[in-house]
Amino acid sequence: MKAAFRWFSRLADMIAAGLLAAIFVTFLLQIATRYLPKVITHFDLDYFPALTAIRPLGWSLELIGILWVWVIFFSCAFVVREQDHVKFDIIYLWVSRKTRTIFTIVSAAAIVAGMIYALLPTLDYIDWMKIRKTATVRNPITGGKIPMRTIFSVYGGFMIVVAVRYAWLAIDTFCHGPPKTELELAVEADAPKAKQ
Amino acid sequence: MSVELIGLLVTLFVLSGIGTPIGYAIMLAAVVYLGMAGLDVALAGEKILQGFYKSAILLAVPLFIVAANIMNAGSITDRLLAFCVAAVGRFKGGLGHVNVVASLIFSGMSGSAVADAAGIGKIIISMMTRDGRYSRGYAAAITAASATIGPIIPPSIPMVLYALVSNASIGALFLAGILPGIMMGIVLMIMNCYLARKRGFAMEEPVPLRELPRKTANAFPALLMPVILLYGIYGGVTTPTEAAAVAAFYALLLAMLFYRALSWRGLYQVFVDSARSSASVGIVIGGAFILNFIVISEQIPQAISAMLDGADIHPLMFLLAVNLLILLLGCVLDATTIILVIVPLFIPTCKALGIDLVHFGVLVVVNSMIGLITPPYGILLFVINAVTDIPLREIIAEIWAFLAVLIAALAVMMLFPDLVLWLPRLVGYSG
Repeated sequence: MKAAFRWFSRLADMIAAGLLAAIFVTFLLQIATRYLPKVITHFDLDYFPALTAIRPLGWSLELIGILWVWVIFFSCAFVVREQDHVKFDIIYLWVSRKTRTIFTIVSAAAIVAGMIYALLPTLDYIDWMKIRKTATVRNPITGGKIPMRTIFSVYGGFMIVVAVRYAWLAIDTFCHGPPKTELELAVEADAPKAKQ
Repeated sequence: MSVELIGLLVTLFVLSGIGTPIGYAIMLAAVVYLGMAGLDVALAGEKILQGFYKSAILLAVPLFIVAANIMNAGSITDRLLAFCVAAVGRFKGGLGHVNVVASLIFSGMSGSAVADAAGIGKIIISMMTRDGRYSRGYAAAITAASATIGPIIPPSIPMVLYALVSNASIGALFLAGILPGIMMGIVLMIMNCYLARKRGFAMEEPVPLRELPRKTANAFPALLMPVILLYGIYGGVTTPTEAAAVAAFYALLLAMLFYRALSWRGLYQVFVDSARSSASVGIVIGGAFILNFIVISEQIPQAISAMLDGADIHPLMFLLAVNLLILLLGCVLDATTIILVIVPLFIPTCKALGIDLVHFGVLVVVNSMIGLITPPYGILLFVINAVTDIPLREIIAEIWAFLAVLIAALAVMMLFPDLVLWLPRLVGYSG
C-alpha cells in the first residue's frame, strides 16, 4: 500500500514537472518562431524550403494558458504538500499540540464540507462548458478544437482529490496527532548535516 | 455591509486563523458568501478558471520561480560570493557589505526574497560566524534585512502580482524598482559600517586587487542576467512574460553548459520544486480572483473612496495611512496575501487622488518586503532560523537597526515620487 502510494506520488511529480517544462518549451518556441523568419531572410537562407516554412505560432499562447491551469490544479491535488501552502500560522504555532489537533481537524473538515457542497454545481458548470471550444488549439489526433469542458475538468478532479486528501488528514490527525510544521521539517532535514 | 459579506469575513478569518491554507480559506469563504447570497456556488470555480485562463501575465510567476531555482541549484551563488568578497570584503564590516552587495546582485536574478535568504544567505551566515567574528544574531539579521531587496530589483514576483491587481505596466514597475533597491542596499551598508565601527568587528584579509578581474570574469555571465531581462522588455524584443522564459533559459544555459554545475537529475528536481511552489502561490492567486469579484460586486472600493472623499484627504496623508496599515499588516500577514487581497481595495482611491500607480506599487512592494522581517511574523526570520538554527530571539534582537533604516528609506521613496519614477520616465513612461 505504502509502496504504491510512493510510486504514485513520484508519477504525479513527474507529470507536474512535465507540464511546467512544457510551458517553458512552448514559450521558447513562441519566441523562436517569431524571430527565426527574420533571421532566415537576413542571412539569405531562403532556398531551404524547410526553413521558409517556419511561421510564428498562433496557438502557443492558448496552449500555455491550458497548461498553466493544469499545472496549478494538478499540482495542488497531487504534488503540493500540506507544509508547502501559504498559511497564517502564528496562532497555530503558538497553541499547544492538543489544540493544534483540534485546529487541523476543524479546518480539514471545513475544506471537505466546502468542496463537497460546491462539487455538483461546479461539475454542472464544467459540463456546460462543452459548448465553448478553444479558439486556436486543436486536438493533435482528430484535428478538431477542444471543448473547454475537457480543459476545465481538471478543476473537478482537483475538488474531489482535495476533499479526499483532507478527509484523510482529519482521520490521520485524529489518530496520530497534527502533521509536522514546516519549521519542524526543516530543522529535521537540517539536523543530520549540522551534526557532521 | 450585507449579511453574506459578514459570513465571508467570519469564515475567512476563522479558517485562516486556525491555519487553513489561505487559498482554500478564501475559496471556502467565497462559497459561503455565494451560498448565503443565493447565487450559484459554481461562480467560485468559474471566476478562478476564467481568471487563470485569461491572464497571460501571471505566467511570469512560474517562470521566474524556475529561473530562481536553477540559480540556486546551479552553484551560481558561490561565484557571486567570491566576486563580492573580492570587491567589498576589504572595508570595515567587510562581510556585512558582502552580504548586502551579494543580495543586490543576486536579486537581479531570483525575484524571490525567500530564495535569496535560503540560498546565498545560509552560505554567508556561516562565513560571518566562523571564528566568532560576528555574532550569530547580527549575521542572521543583516542577511534577512538584505534579502528584502530581492523582489525590489527586477525580476520581481511580487511586482507581477501587483501588476495583475492594478493593471500598472510591469515594465515600468520593474524599472521603477531599480533605484529604490539600490537605495535600500546603501542604507543597510551605512548602518553596517556604523555598527562595525562601534563594535569593532574584525576586518577581512583583503583579496589582492589583481585577483579581482579573474573573479569578475567568472561571475560576469551571471551578472548579465538583469541586463538581458530589461533589454528584452524595453528593447521591444519580448513581452515581460516571455522575458521571464528567456531569463529561465539563460539561467539554464549558464548552470548546465557554462558552469556545468547542474545535472539532469538536478534539473528535474528544479521543475518539480517549481511546480510545487507555483501551485501553492497559484491557489492564493485563484482565491484573489474570486475575492476580487466579490469585492467589486459589494462595491467596497467605491465605499472606501466615498469615505475618503468626504474627509478631503491629501494624497500624502493617504499614502502615509496606507503604508502604516501595510507595515502593521506585514507584522502578521504574508506578502502575497497583502498584495493580492488588501492592496486592490486601495487602487480606485489611488486613481481618484491622482497617485501614480507605479509609484504606489513600488511603495507597496517595498513595504510588504519589509513586512517579511518585522517580528513577530516575518517569514525571512523563520527561514533563516530554520536553515541555520540561530535562535529567533537573537535574530530579532539585532534586526531593529536594519528595520529602522529600511523604513526610513521607504519614507524617502514615499515623499519623493520622482526618485522612483525617474528611470521609467527616462524610457517613456508617462506618469
